[in-house]
Amino acid sequence: MKSVVELFGRSQSSQTGDQLLSSRGRLAVLVAVGALALFAPIADAYEPFWLNMLVRMMIFALLALSLDFVFGYAGLLSFGHAAMFGAGGYAAAMLISEVTANALVVLPAAMVVGAVVAGIIGWFSVRARGIYFAMLTLAFAQLFYVMAFTDLPATILGVESFTGGDNGLYGIQRYALFGVDFTPTLVYFYLTLAAVALSFVALLRLSNSPFGRVLQGIRENEERVQFLGYDVRRYKVLGFALSGAFAGLAGGLYVPFQSVSHPGLLHWMISGELVVMLLLGGLGTLWGPMLGAALVVFLEEQLAGFASWEIVLGGIFVVVVIFAPRGLAGAIISVRDDPTNVATNAKRAIRNYIDKVRR
Amino acid sequence: MNETVTATASDVSETDPILRTEGVTKKFGTLTAIDDVSIEIPADEITSIIGPNGAGKTTLFNLFTGKHEPTGGRIEFRGESIGGLAPHEIVDRGVVRSFQITNFFGELTALENVRIATQAHYSGFGPGDFARHHASLEEPIADAYEILERVHLEDAARTTAANLSYGQRRHLEIGIALAARPELLLMDEPTAGMSPEETHEVVDLVRAIADDVTLVLIEHDTDIVMELSDQIAVLNEGELLSWGAPAEIQADERVQRAYLGGGGRE
Repeated sequence: MKSVVELFGRSQSSQTGDQLLSSRGRLAVLVAVGALALFAPIADAYEPFWLNMLVRMMIFALLALSLDFVFGYAGLLSFGHAAMFGAGGYAAAMLISEVTANALVVLPAAMVVGAVVAGIIGWFSVRARGIYFAMLTLAFAQLFYVMAFTDLPATILGVESFTGGDNGLYGIQRYALFGVDFTPTLVYFYLTLAAVALSFVALLRLSNSPFGRVLQGIRENEERVQFLGYDVRRYKVLGFALSGAFAGLAGGLYVPFQSVSHPGLLHWMISGELVVMLLLGGLGTLWGPMLGAALVVFLEEQLAGFASWEIVLGGIFVVVVIFAPRGLAGAIISVRDDPTNVATNAKRAIRNYIDKVRR
Repeated sequence: MNETVTATASDVSETDPILRTEGVTKKFGTLTAIDDVSIEIPADEITSIIGPNGAGKTTLFNLFTGKHEPTGGRIEFRGESIGGLAPHEIVDRGVVRSFQITNFFGELTALENVRIATQAHYSGFGPGDFARHHASLEEPIADAYEILERVHLEDAARTTAANLSYGQRRHLEIGIALAARPELLLMDEPTAGMSPEETHEVVDLVRAIADDVTLVLIEHDTDIVMELSDQIAVLNEGELLSWGAPAEIQADERVQRAYLGGGGRE
């Protein structure tokens, strides 16, 4: 049986050999983080709108990163990552308004909540494979969505309001830490940048760990890994929970930034958009999906006034899937490997596609 | 019929069996793939399972290794029931299989393929297994090199598995199985589709492995089976037709009719 990842075009992670990121790649990441850090004050001074967008780009990049760890890297297509995103967001909202706005308490708590929700969804879903796994995660995520929307926990606990129903929880203030107030967007930007950069390093490290190698083996050949004595289900559930932790962190960053936690965060539309970000960016590279996320947020932002911006996104998506099946990351890698051949490669891609259509 | 067959088996071997089945049966819907098979695999010897296509040889392997759960009967490894255990639990006990269709990680190097297998003995879910770089685990890599030497692939260690020759792939397949540290190794057609020269190499390899591992082979090539095996079990339509030393099997008329004489190899 073909794996879902194969159907979407192969991941590239193993092409780089032992390391998921070469030394040149590391340099590129450092340059990107540095450029963002320098750009932020300029944007803040001249056009705060851009800064606002950058923060959202980074948060969704983190969410896409978390999904790529299980989908691109371990081959588990989750259509329910919004559940962990939303759960982390709600956890942050409740803690901030009821307990503390300390980022070092709330953000780790959001990660734990994300991991627990992912662990529950994963434990039930890994019994199925491929598209059935995807549908189970989707169903569970919608279950969490309905629970938040109808405020089911409040009914069960016998309290007046828990998730705030369809209104959600609003008026959530931003974090504070060591006397620093994160309310100004520029300060919040640096908190987000630090969290996203650390998460990237952590997931990169995890991908290259012995645990990550087994996950990659599961993506490539699940049966074989099983017959080497690995408890495949346990690895999958753990990988899923780890991914959920980072999705929860993204939620924990998003909700105080937007000052509201609402059921829409758990909706399957977000999960679907995430899969689009991954495919646009390039599965299994970790950095590619982050670029994909930034692109989607950028388009959404720029074309928001245009009534049907999804048409534009859809058009770009179709073009990328046909001509750059390995996404932005694949295109960047092929240009890097052979900068002179861009025109030839483009021609070949078009010819291949036309041949495919004719057949 | 089974009683007489089992009686012959105990004449063949005096040692305690490493694997024993008792009336094991597997049904897929209305199809009975394995029908009431009782067999004893003696330790430290080479046993071959032969039979026409569709006789249930691979299904029997799948039952031994936990891919399928038996519909009825009992499977014992070293006196402990393993029927219905998960594959990884059976591997932990020392029953490992190699696959008929080469079944590895095509995008990884030969070394990496074996290393994923050896790693199972060193890592689990401790903090180091998440935080360390996989290449910093030295023992699994050393073990993997040792195994590559055993299967004569030391020069191809850094070659991506998908770029290995057909013969090399079969060696890698055997190497991966060895890396799981089998006490009992079930090999599904190790020489299928090979040239005579490659076949010869694999036969030598199988002999070398048999020095410290109990082997069960599924093999179509009757010459190889007669040459290598200490015992032969003949399956036909899911039933154990005959069971004994190569000379006995060759002389068995039922086997002649069902398999050896019946048009030769498929």
